[in-house]
Amino acid sequence: MESQAIWLTLRLAVTTTLILLAFAIPLAWWISSGRSAIRSFAQAITALPLVLPPTVIGFYLLVGLGPLTPIGRAIIRLLGHPLAFSFTGLVVGSVLYSFPFAIMPLVAGFQAIGPEYVEAASLLGASPFRSFFDITLPLARPAVLSATVLVFLHTIGEFGVVLMLGGNIPGTTQTLSIALFDRVQDGNYAAANHIAILLIAFAIVGLALVYAAPSRRTLA
Amino acid sequence: MPSRSTYHEVRIQHRAGPLALDVELTLDHPWTALFAPSGAGKTTILRIIAGLDRPHFGRIVCHSSRPAQPPARFVFCDTSAGIHTAPHQRAVRMVAQRPALFPHLSVLENIVYRMPANVVEGEEIHSRDSHLNAILELCRVSHLTNTTPSQLSGGERQRVALARTMAAGTGRLLLLDEPFTGLESDLRDDLIRDLRTWTAERGTPVLLVTHDIGEVFAAEAHVLKMKSGRIVASGPAAEVLAGERDRLIQRLRPDGTVILAKPESL
Repeated sequence: MESQAIWLTLRLAVTTTLILLAFAIPLAWWISSGRSAIRSFAQAITALPLVLPPTVIGFYLLVGLGPLTPIGRAIIRLLGHPLAFSFTGLVVGSVLYSFPFAIMPLVAGFQAIGPEYVEAASLLGASPFRSFFDITLPLARPAVLSATVLVFLHTIGEFGVVLMLGGNIPGTTQTLSIALFDRVQDGNYAAANHIAILLIAFAIVGLALVYAAPSRRTLA
Repeated sequence: MPSRSTYHEVRIQHRAGPLALDVELTLDHPWTALFAPSGAGKTTILRIIAGLDRPHFGRIVCHSSRPAQPPARFVFCDTSAGIHTAPHQRAVRMVAQRPALFPHLSVLENIVYRMPANVVEGEEIHSRDSHLNAILELCRVSHLTNTTPSQLSGGERQRVALARTMAAGTGRLLLLDEPFTGLESDLRDDLIRDLRTWTAERGTPVLLVTHDIGEVFAAEAHVLKMKSGRIVASGPAAEVLAGERDRLIQRLRPDGTVILAKPESL
């Protein structure tokens, strides 16, 4: 009965996870590959969503990407509709909101890899780009898995940003957590209970995946 | 100055903590050994030549001469001109003190990581398999190919790291940072002898860093003796390290365990 919300939630989580990894992996690599004020600043900015109320992010995205600003007007011209109250808008909000959940495990994972492996590869003639794909990324696989699962679960469970930016439109922006809120407001506790159990199940399966994953082979 | 083989000119001034390096050396022998006690800045010199670290002041020039190719000159580093060639573009190979085998790859995958598909040496074209086998035998690692790095002993890891470097091609310069530590001395001397032949055939000069006199003599290297960041003596091993050798013999004598034949100096 909640198939519409389930499908929408999964679609949002998958899209957000893929887009976020594409941005977060290179960014985390850059942050972890040296020490400088600008790298620390970038890391701090990406961690902001962790401490800000989601409604703050949702509010500024709603206003910033709406018809009141040049960026918002450009998006409207490009898409034909404003970002707010659309699936695309939800994706943008989710990507920003889940950024720290991707960056933190990835930075920690890249930093845990000793510089000697990349140095060894470069002394064998491998370019930095090459050694990133051959050495760094495979060695950081547990971190990539953590980031993937955390972002996926976090997106499934997010509420504030979605409500501010997407509202509550069944089939378009009504995700599971919004649907749960909706049922409670209707006094339909049985339906709310079903959704809540489903969300718990997602979380348990996802976390089990992270903790059961084989750890990296012993370093040599 | 030998004009028909590859040689390097190195000038480095560098400060790192309490260490003040000021060295000028020409690598124009088949094997050169940088001999100094630990903490004298040997590894720093190798890292700078390899391009992993930048010197405060310095100039490193490679004069390359390969069979069937016109002589070429590569400036790896020149601080006054702001030149710093990235390590992977220098074709300088280095076997570091810590082997750093890639833990997610098997021993064989490690060795062939940067091995070219066709190995052309002079006029000869070796097949990949025969070249690989020659390297496995050279480094005494043929029996290890089916293992993973975590299963190896320290000495085995160092030999696999050496094989991985040789498989990528000896390049314009081979830097060895105490790669024979922990090897049994007979095996070490055999390995050094075979490496000498291997690098001589390919015209690649070798810079060996060590604080082990045995290695220097086995390599028949031209010796640069370092002390607190400077080169204090250079010449054939028998000349430069005679004092060290005698001291070593003196120290071993009272035990009666090791007696080396060199009575005239005692």
